[in-house]
Amino acid sequence: MKQNIIKRLLQAVFVLLGVALLIFIMLRIVPGNPIATMMGEHADPATIERMTAEFGLDQPAIVQFARYLSGAVRGDFGTSYSLGRPVAALMRQAFGNTLKLAFLAALFAWILGITCGIIAAVKKNGLLDRLFMGLSLLGVSMPVFMVAMLLQYVFAFHLHWLPISGVDGLKSFILPAIALGWNSAGSVSRLVRSTLIEILQEDYIDTARAKGNRQMGVLLRHALRNAMLPVVTMMAIQISSLLSGAVITETIFSINGIGQLAVQAINGRDIPLLQGTALFSTAIVIIGNLLADCLYSVLDPRIRKEA
Amino acid sequence: MEKNMLEIRHLSASFFTQKGEVKAVNDVCIEVPKGKIVGIVGESGCGKSMTVRACMGLLKYPGRVVGGEAWLDGKEILSLPEKEKCAIRGDEIAMVFQDPMTSLNPVVRVGKQVTEALRLHRNMPAAEARREAVAMFEAVGIPEAKKRLSSYPHQLSGGLRQRVMIAMAMICHPKVLIADEPTTALDVTVEAQILRLMKKLCSDGTSVLIISHNLGVIAQLCDYVYVMYAGRIVEQADTFTLFEEPLHPYTRGLLSSVSSLRRGGDKLDTIPGVVPNLLHLPAGCSFSLRCERCEEKCRECLPDLMDVGDGHKVRCHFAGRGEKA
Repeated sequence: MKQNIIKRLLQAVFVLLGVALLIFIMLRIVPGNPIATMMGEHADPATIERMTAEFGLDQPAIVQFARYLSGAVRGDFGTSYSLGRPVAALMRQAFGNTLKLAFLAALFAWILGITCGIIAAVKKNGLLDRLFMGLSLLGVSMPVFMVAMLLQYVFAFHLHWLPISGVDGLKSFILPAIALGWNSAGSVSRLVRSTLIEILQEDYIDTARAKGNRQMGVLLRHALRNAMLPVVTMMAIQISSLLSGAVITETIFSINGIGQLAVQAINGRDIPLLQGTALFSTAIVIIGNLLADCLYSVLDPRIRKEA
Repeated sequence: MEKNMLEIRHLSASFFTQKGEVKAVNDVCIEVPKGKIVGIVGESGCGKSMTVRACMGLLKYPGRVVGGEAWLDGKEILSLPEKEKCAIRGDEIAMVFQDPMTSLNPVVRVGKQVTEALRLHRNMPAAEARREAVAMFEAVGIPEAKKRLSSYPHQLSGGLRQRVMIAMAMICHPKVLIADEPTTALDVTVEAQILRLMKKLCSDGTSVLIISHNLGVIAQLCDYVYVMYAGRIVEQADTFTLFEEPLHPYTRGLLSSVSSLRRGGDKLDTIPGVVPNLLHLPAGCSFSLRCERCEEKCRECLPDLMDVGDGHKVRCHFAGRGEKA
């Protein structure tokens, strides 16, 4: 078990290195000088040259990469061209908002999705099942921008219950979190339902009932833990995608998070900022998957290696 | 005769499908006297499992009990509300299932699974329940009982798992133990061990109702046997009588299709034809379609379960008149 985790951590380091290299190469093969883009059409060529040297872009690629890597290891991702501030500081600030948003969205999606999934499975083909599965179909098929705008229209514009956009206390995260979690809630509830229905047909569920368990006991003590195995995998993928920045949601609700930072970086050809955000997202995805693997082996003893 | 611990009276159960009602269990009466082992034998799909599942209240949708009663030690249990059924299940009546590979929860330690019934029915503290479980593991012959409690099912062999299942069913010392093909999924040497174990349990006072399609198992273990065909009891007798003097043509067919080293011969006897569709049972005797002695009467009218003496009952028009079918 421990060995396995160490192995996975080592693998993760190599994946991160590979991704860092890929991002670096991709940003360098895009034609045009980023400094020239930044300075505008009428910039003085001498100034452009001076700035290029200042940012180290006149150095050979290999030197640039080495600098970038050694910086990244120390948590220094350089200075943003467009915002003029250290990338690490910008990301730290933005990550606070992304974290709040992702946490709330996941909370909303999982509580709603798992509850509805369980009820739908237990009341299979009943009224609630049909209702929840209809809603979850809307969940998985409605694009996030549509949900976001509908929520803004109803709850902010018409009812004035919640702020329409911007960051002003926790309540301004409620609508974005619902918009962002809506989709995940739909897919989680469908997965929970189908897995649970399958599990409830298993022989050990009969055994549990034959022992005198009531329906609640059967569900909580025997069915759910087995049913959660595939759900945990899905949740890990969801949390990493939520944490690595919800570009559309953050843009619509004007939330200054990692996603918006990435959009700014792309628009401004801001190489350090783009490298920083991309590497950060990769790290989040890797950590998410690693956590899912660990959780999986906690839940399922068959996966644990014999000690 | 001893008092009946379990008495199934005129039990009928059906599956309600889109094509119609599938009558899987039809007017079945079974008595399990105290401290005896009673067997139900019959081929796949004849309603054996459905009968005992109905008693346990474990029928799966779309199966439902249509009529009849089940009396457990003088108390009717089929009409009880679900809450009271749960209180009886696993405590007064327990069940061992066919496949120990799939009947144990793969993600829960076996110790926890075995002690669960004690916590449910006796409200026993964990430490005490563990002691009980160790004692029960030793009683069913699980080596290193204490250590095994913290094993997961996948770490145990098939035979050990079935012992765990039996320990789990016996932990509350039920009045009646129902075993649904307890050895079918096991290899023969393990089967013999499990059968010995069941016999021992019975000598401790538990009444056992065992289902099997294996006549060898029935002959070895049971005091009394019921033969089921297409949802009905077709013959019942004490084991010795049934094997020595089978009266129903189906029972005779079953017995002659068992291979035996003693009998020799190179080709195994079989019963011609197939089991009737339970959706459209014949009006008369269900076995009429496959019976060599079938006459007009058999096709038109269902024979009663006739007593031919000493508790030997046969559902055949030709039985009980001095002539053997």
